[in-house]
Amino acid sequence: MAETSLVPANLQDDIVLECNNVCHWFGSKRVLYNVNLRVPRGQTMALVGPSGCGKSTLLRAILGTHPPCAGTVLMEGIPCDRPNRDRGIVYQRYSLFPFLTAEENVAFGLMLDQTSFTFRWLQFWKWAALRRQHRAEAANLLERLGLSGSRRSYPEELSGGMRQRVALAQALIMQPKLLLLDEPFGALDEATREEMQLMLLQLSAENLAARRRHEQPPYTIIIVTHEINEALYVADRVVGLSQFHSEKQFGATVVYDKAAPLFKPQDPRDLDAFLAQKEEILQAVFDETSVRHYSEYVSFWKDYEALKKSSAPASPPTGSR
Amino acid sequence: MIIRQPISRAWRIGLGLAAIIFLLAAYTLLSRSRQEAVRAEQRDVAQQKIADLAEDRVRLQNEIQRATTREEGVREKMLMRLERELKELETQETRWRQLAGAPDAEDLTVPAWSQLYRQGLVRACTPQGSFQRKEVWIVHDFWNTAKRLVSALLIAVAVSLVLGLLMGCVDYVDAFFLPPFALLSKVPATAVLPIFFVLVQINFKMYIAIIVFSLLPTLAQSISQSVRKDIAEELIFKAYTLGASQFEVIWEVIYKQILPRIIDAARLQIGPALLLLVAAEWMVAGEGIGYRLRLFYQRTDMTVVFVYVIILGLIGLIVDYLLIWFRRWLCPWFGD
Repeated sequence: MAETSLVPANLQDDIVLECNNVCHWFGSKRVLYNVNLRVPRGQTMALVGPSGCGKSTLLRAILGTHPPCAGTVLMEGIPCDRPNRDRGIVYQRYSLFPFLTAEENVAFGLMLDQTSFTFRWLQFWKWAALRRQHRAEAANLLERLGLSGSRRSYPEELSGGMRQRVALAQALIMQPKLLLLDEPFGALDEATREEMQLMLLQLSAENLAARRRHEQPPYTIIIVTHEINEALYVADRVVGLSQFHSEKQFGATVVYDKAAPLFKPQDPRDLDAFLAQKEEILQAVFDETSVRHYSEYVSFWKDYEALKKSSAPASPPTGSR
Repeated sequence: MIIRQPISRAWRIGLGLAAIIFLLAAYTLLSRSRQEAVRAEQRDVAQQKIADLAEDRVRLQNEIQRATTREEGVREKMLMRLERELKELETQETRWRQLAGAPDAEDLTVPAWSQLYRQGLVRACTPQGSFQRKEVWIVHDFWNTAKRLVSALLIAVAVSLVLGLLMGCVDYVDAFFLPPFALLSKVPATAVLPIFFVLVQINFKMYIAIIVFSLLPTLAQSISQSVRKDIAEELIFKAYTLGASQFEVIWEVIYKQILPRIIDAARLQIGPALLLLVAAEWMVAGEGIGYRLRLFYQRTDMTVVFVYVIILGLIGLIVDYLLIWFRRWLCPWFGD
């Protein structure tokens, strides 16, 4: 059974990603307009929107490969002007290096991050020992994902679902501060999609468990998806990007931003639980005839403050001492 | 039948063998017809000579008759000379009659298989030359040419790789090198040979310079294009997110991914490089395949020439297959 979001007390104090008035255009074509987002640590945020509205453009701005034309994207206060170790990415296609086996693909990041080219050439024996360690770690992770039998296979020899699982392992083993998933399940069949969605729920469950232990949640994820059902199922927050609003001539902006129901991996997949929210998203994000102001459904932080106040213990009466 | 309908392996092998047999048969027929033509020509020449000698015989016999009427001292001298001339004429006549009956002329422009073997292969594989400077042509010539070719190819590939990678990765480098390379790659390499002969002395370095100059623009552009087209930018971005430095993106991602294309590009450049080298050796070398071909061309003796051509073709095939096998072994993920 889905439950409403738990209310971590310090969500606003631990912001991993901040987008401030992000705008982007290609020549005379305006794509993004005044996109404002704050993503706290440990959140799984789904980004939905009509095709071509600029979701991938926003993701690239966050990744740092295509910085915005105006506004800022900050990762723990540091501008995202180039891709680096702090952000992991899983693409829909071109997810793996074709010249490496599955195990080598997963271990690749450890090699690049922990050693240098000169170390690998000049201290070959030390590197060989470290390499065995990396491959053992990669093999363990692949085993957890049910891919131990395919770790010596090249990407060409793997199915689409297996490739995306390896790509996810490749990103997760690096423990990035922010994991970006750009329609990672778009090319997969229904059964494989559901399997991958369950994997994401596992990561959210690990976040929840970490919070309960008062530890830092390990995974902060932004997933771009076309599927609203998927967004509501795997994420704990849904953000809708759309050009269908009263100021559409300036480009797409955030027109929906609310919490999503929390599912646990063992919960049944109850799509009826969020039917009303789905209708709301369809109206706010996908209605081409919309002329409402874009901030009408943007209330995540307001709702969070309200929920925090309502779930906080009652303050003692004045003069009670 | 539909376009690209596959055929069985047996058909493929059978048709391939049939093509080779056809080529061999065509050569045999050509060679035989050339031999026949040369023999017919020899017969005609012999008949003409016999006719000329018959006229000379009549003339000599008349002179012998006139000499018998001369005075004693002069007559004997004249008769001795005329009889000597008559004997020589008879000897020549006998030789020409033999040639007319059994012409033995050999055409070496399209040699028969036996000539290719005896005067081509055997001669090329056995020590030739004067007592102190005997050499086995095939070993000497192929070794000298191979030294030049392999050295030049290694240098050309190494330099093209570095430049090609830089051109593919850095737009400034591409903008600088692309215009001259685009121009130079269109210049026929054989046309610049005289420039190299004049600018660089005729030595080992000249051959290297010629081959590197001709291969570098094409190979560098090919590698640069491969970097830009064969590598999705998403993979490069991903490498950065995995902690790769700029050098590691080029070496560990880009170079490794285009390595099979580099091997293929180098493999395809061996033919043009060898063509240019043989042309240069033909013109100015004192040793090597081109030099030997020039020597035998000047004698119109194609026996050694054909043998060298066949061996070059076979070596080329072997090297090609070796490189393909090498690419498959080094890059098993690339497939065929």
